[in-house]
Amino acid sequence: MNIQDNYQKNRKNIFFSENKDIETHRENLINIFENDRFDKKNNESLKNINLKNFIDFKYKYLIPEETSVINNNHENSYSIVSVNGQCSTFKDDKIEITKILDEDYNDFSKNNIIEKNDHFVNLNSLFLNSGFKIVIKRNNNIKIKISNIVTDDDLTIFQKNNIICQEGSSLSLIEEYENKNNSTSNILNVIKLEKHSQLNHFLIQDNSSNHNLIITSHSSCKKDSTYTQKVYNFSEGYVRNFHYSELIETNSEANLQGIFFLKDNNTSNNKTFVKHSAEDCKSNQVYKGILNDRSKATYFSNTHVDQVAQKTEGYQLSKGILLSDNASYFSKPELKIYADDVKCSHGSTIGPIDENAIFYLRSRGMSKIAATKILISSFINEELSSIDNEQMSEIIQKKLVRYLSKVK
Amino acid sequence: MFLEIKDLSVKIENKSILNGLNLNINKGEVHAIMGPNGCGKSTLANVLAGKEDYEILNGKINFKDNDLFDLNIEERAQEGMFLAFQYPVEIPGVNITPFLHSAINSKRKRMNEEEIDNLSFAKLLKSKASDLGINIDMLKRSVNTGFSGGEKKRYEILQMSILNPDLAILDETDSGLDIDALKIVTDGVNKLKTKDNSFLIITHYQKLLDYIKPDYVHVMVNGSIVKSGGSEIAAEIEKDGFQKFQ
Repeated sequence: MNIQDNYQKNRKNIFFSENKDIETHRENLINIFENDRFDKKNNESLKNINLKNFIDFKYKYLIPEETSVINNNHENSYSIVSVNGQCSTFKDDKIEITKILDEDYNDFSKNNIIEKNDHFVNLNSLFLNSGFKIVIKRNNNIKIKISNIVTDDDLTIFQKNNIICQEGSSLSLIEEYENKNNSTSNILNVIKLEKHSQLNHFLIQDNSSNHNLIITSHSSCKKDSTYTQKVYNFSEGYVRNFHYSELIETNSEANLQGIFFLKDNNTSNNKTFVKHSAEDCKSNQVYKGILNDRSKATYFSNTHVDQVAQKTEGYQLSKGILLSDNASYFSKPELKIYADDVKCSHGSTIGPIDENAIFYLRSRGMSKIAATKILISSFINEELSSIDNEQMSEIIQKKLVRYLSKVK
Repeated sequence: MFLEIKDLSVKIENKSILNGLNLNINKGEVHAIMGPNGCGKSTLANVLAGKEDYEILNGKINFKDNDLFDLNIEERAQEGMFLAFQYPVEIPGVNITPFLHSAINSKRKRMNEEEIDNLSFAKLLKSKASDLGINIDMLKRSVNTGFSGGEKKRYEILQMSILNPDLAILDETDSGLDIDALKIVTDGVNKLKTKDNSFLIITHYQKLLDYIKPDYVHVMVNGSIVKSGGSEIAAEIEKDGFQKFQ
């Protein structure tokens, strides 16, 4: 079914379909699809995927029967179960969780940073059927864990979340994606950090091979705020992690880190884009991948420094280990600098595991497989040892052990 | 015979490196191999340790009644062979202490000996490190990472003293060491020497042999041993160089 028919058929179940402005925006998007007006050349969102599979899809969405749970299990700590992209509303003196509104949609459609030539983002806007908004109130220090559950096979979740950290607030957010059903989750997170706020955002992805996960996120940081994103992708299904970050006021910071563990025929596409729009801001992007069998990955990293963004520090690094001759990792770091007083660097290293290191370890009595596993662990040791959340650290270690057990 | 190398010929990427090399080492003996750059000394060390980049064209090596070519790299180490590397590999993220603990236990396992527990290993490591003048803080670091040239060589000898091999091959351990470090390293080697283990020392210079007295000195040229004898050969090389042997 083409996009137009698919949309019209399911229109009544899609958020904000009665809003005229939003409908106009969506008609434009449908036009792009119908007239195949995507720029396919150098389009980062099209690498390693069969676009047809994602455009000719059967729309299916179920409103969750059970009310999703928000549990204030102890002071300043919340557990949220998001079911099919929705969770119930909640309010106390520290946080507020609500449904997303038309204005949130408009807020996104006016966003100039997220790539407009990204068909996954456009599909998200067209078929939006879920999402929520979390506000962390001023000067509160909060921990939230969100378990993202998809209940049935063949569901197509198009979800948009807004996360707002008000002035002086601090949020540690763990998001878990562990789904075993044959579904697709297309999620857009729009994150706003007000002055002096902080967000440590961990994403653990561990879906089965028939579950597609597409996450696009955008963070904007005001004065003295810091956004840190750490993504751990152990999924056996397709995963796309694209993150756009904007440092809009002075002394703000974005730290983006991702590690992916691929095997079999799995594919992971990754992108980070950081826009320095103010003075004295810092960004650091580190992505590492371990690829076995016939797996494939891409990583596009871009740091853009505006003319006004003097005293910028912007660093990018990507590294990959290929455990098989049939695995591939395409990495493209880019810097665009229009200011003259900056410290920026980028680097990318991809290759097989260091045979000299294997020989050294084996010459001390360690088996080849043990040496390989120890070198994989050491490759990501710095990132794993920097996790200051004990619960997260344990979860990641267990998943790493499981991944290593399949390395032969 | 502890180690017996017969008519060994080896090539790498179509280039012959070892050409019909013969060498016999008995238990308790210290042998030194001296030779000019590129004569095949390090290749011999790597082939003995099992490095897989080389093509064995001919010959046989017996080590402790085993056909060495039947053993893979780790089995050779577990059987008691140890190579102190000329250029020890830096491995960031692999901590020295658990790595060495795992190495010693893999050897013990093969020998059907009881594995050494954490506490006993920590004591052993501390004592051996102290003998070699190695700061305890260094043991918290990653293998060879950020070490100076001297520290790397000292750390190789620490590994050797922990693993207590039957045959230790020291590949230019003296290179990059100042005189004080050389003394500490060679003292460490001398302390390890017993009637039951053997050493094969590869070096360019006589200086190392002033501290570790070899029973035999061999001159290697173009991948073969061209002369064998006692310490007097080392003195001869120091005086006249390798030219006369080529």
